[in-house]
Amino acid sequence: MDLQHITQEELEQIEKYLNGNLDALALTKFEQRMQTEAEFKSKVEDIKTVLTGIETQALKEQLDIFHEAIETVSTESEEEDTKVHTLNWKRLLVAAALIIAAGSFWFLGGNPNERLYANYFKPDPGLPTTMSSSDNYNFYEAMVNYKQGDYKTAIAKWETLQKAKPNNDTLNYFIGVAYLANKNEEIAIPFLEGVAQNSEFALINDAYYYLGLAYLKADNVDKAKSSLQKSNVENSKALLSELND
Amino acid sequence: MQEKNPTLSLNDSFIEAVKNNDPQVLKNLYVNNYPKIEILVLRNSGSKDQAKDIYQDAFLAVWQNIKQDKFIPKSESSINGYLYTIAKNKWLDVLRSSGYKKTIVASQLGHFEIKDEENNDIDDDILKDKRLEDVMLAFKNLGEACKSLLRMFYFEKKSMKFIAEELALDSASTRNKKYRCMQKLKSLALKN
Repeated sequence: MDLQHITQEELEQIEKYLNGNLDALALTKFEQRMQTEAEFKSKVEDIKTVLTGIETQALKEQLDIFHEAIETVSTESEEEDTKVHTLNWKRLLVAAALIIAAGSFWFLGGNPNERLYANYFKPDPGLPTTMSSSDNYNFYEAMVNYKQGDYKTAIAKWETLQKAKPNNDTLNYFIGVAYLANKNEEIAIPFLEGVAQNSEFALINDAYYYLGLAYLKADNVDKAKSSLQKSNVENSKALLSELND
Repeated sequence: MQEKNPTLSLNDSFIEAVKNNDPQVLKNLYVNNYPKIEILVLRNSGSKDQAKDIYQDAFLAVWQNIKQDKFIPKSESSINGYLYTIAKNKWLDVLRSSGYKKTIVASQLGHFEIKDEENNDIDDDILKDKRLEDVMLAFKNLGEACKSLLRMFYFEKKSMKFIAEELALDSASTRNKKYRCMQKLKSLALKN
């Protein structure tokens, strides 16, 4: 990589080009120069590599920070296990019930549908909430609650919006997946059923997938299969093949 | 949420958010997809650390492919499947490599059920570029002042105005500082 001879102006010009910020005239000139000067062309390639390298390494370092969030999740639960004796009796009872339930679940091998569901179900990650437009402020505010796992609050807010827009598929979809994430498949099903009627809906494949999961959780394997079949989501195909085994 | 055409508004904004390294979006993608891959690696003769390494490589490859429009996800869950497939392939490569051959019985790879057609169009070799590796290593070892300046520009994609205010400099000095940091980075990369 021979980058020793590049001026600040040249560097800024190349960056503008790479980010698509040159106007039409400058762009034509720039592209001509790339065609006629091999050295200039390789300079541009090198700068592109440098920018990609910075961005990739920065993300790589960011990933370790993200990973700590995962690790704290698991260590927190481990810590809680060791602190059981300090909890009040109510929580102790809940914990005991859970342990017994988990124990008998493993002991009996569990319900295969339950197990499949547990393996496959992950809440829909939701939509990015960094929208600058304020017109959907309430919708995205609820999305923040949803992403934090506060499904009850998200559902309450979305259902308020839904009263005004009963046929909005996006709203109905997220209300459905929030109910499902909140272990309420019976209520989730009608919402997702409604959304799945509209073949034009942007998230139709996700809707079929989550509807299939909801049916699976409700132990309705036939309906689960027929819904999963209609989805092109990878997980849906994988789950379907496990159900067909 | 435009009711007229949700396809464009939902998906484009999501892809844009990934391309612009929106921290919340990337974090959600990262955190939500990890457990499944950890299970895959742990069940197939790997350790937690190996799961993390493989997953991070796969994550970077997916991000790169989205940035370069080599992979245009239809929805967030199609990213999840794609990420899983890349991670799985990467782990298979590790298992097939010589160090593992002795300890792995072919039958243990049985439940991977690799379908060739799903792997053909997946390209994750961007990170195998030697020059890119040099730059990444150089950036890793760059002094913190330059590092944070370049990070704000190229990773966080902050505006010149914002960065200048952050550094309490005028915009001409900020631009010059960035140029000098780039020079420093390049000379480091050449030494590798």
